[in-house]
Amino acid sequence: MSTADPDGLTLDGNAIAGMLAEVFNGAEMTGASRVCASCGQRHAIGEHRLYRGAGLVLRCPGCGDVGLLIVEGDGWREVRMWGAWSVRVPAPPA
Amino acid sequence: MIAAPRVLWRTATVLELVDETPHARTLVLDVPDWPGHAAGQHVDVRLTAEDGYQAQRSYSVASAPEDPRVALTVERIDDGEVSPYLAGELEAGDTFEVRGPIGGHFTWRAADGGPLLLVAGGSGLVPLMAMLRHRMRVGSRADARLLLSARERDALLYRDELEQLAAAGDGLSITYTLTRAQPEGWTGYARRVDAPMLEAVGPAASVQPRVFVCGPTPFVESVADHLIALGHPAAAIHTERFGPTGG
Repeated sequence: MSTADPDGLTLDGNAIAGMLAEVFNGAEMTGASRVCASCGQRHAIGEHRLYRGAGLVLRCPGCGDVGLLIVEGDGWREVRMWGAWSVRVPAPPA
Repeated sequence: MIAAPRVLWRTATVLELVDETPHARTLVLDVPDWPGHAAGQHVDVRLTAEDGYQAQRSYSVASAPEDPRVALTVERIDDGEVSPYLAGELEAGDTFEVRGPIGGHFTWRAADGGPLLLVAGGSGLVPLMAMLRHRMRVGSRADARLLLSARERDALLYRDELEQLAAAGDGLSITYTLTRAQPEGWTGYARRVDAPMLEAVGPAASVQPRVFVCGPTPFVESVADHLIALGHPAAAIHTERFGPTGG
């Protein structure tokens, strides 16, 4: 399997946990779960397959349907999501 | 939106370098204000060239959360952009940027309990080693089985330390398979990980072990399929994939 990642080190949602934390304001997203809109399976974001091309794509490990797309431009980043995402974050301090 | 702590870049200083195999090196780092990590988490490493060009990679933390020094084990990929520097030219006293710890899905804390089944392909052992070091440091006696696959004996990371951990008699057993070349008198497995091997290593699906599989993508996919076939629920199988390394 080849990707645009020259070292090809990591190839699932765990690999972009840092970028996901940037996008989601510091939230830890690899443990978030997503119910695929296509096949109905629930999988952790960390288990989703990572594809790097012109953009960055996470696909359902069950059926391959696209769950997340991140495209970057000059000074902006656009995030598109499909399926039902469930994220658990710590409560804000009282 | 509630303000959440941002993942900050910090400057890490190399304290010590340890050659693990002919192709892999451990970087022991001092990271100021390191917030602590869970076993299995990783860090992002960012290198900046003099002309401003930046390259970023993700590496699993090898050290236990109880260890104040952060250790990364990097396998050198000869045509890579980052690993030849980290596992080659880098010297003690050098600095580079890290951010983390990152990730929460592929983690184990002793409080999560066992039994544990850890399956590693090549340098996929690194995050699992953090779990075993954590388990030892906190005195956990959780039933833990490590199945370690490598091409040959010289490619096995942390060989001496693993033997010491297994000899402690605290509920850890380690099984090796060498897929390409075996030394004379080798008594371990000598084939790719398959369902009968996983079944022999155990624990059985019926006792509901937490399963962590880390290695090159084809290795992880194949092991996960065998585990599912043996009756392990998909939700109990945590996977992390690496590129064309290890094996």
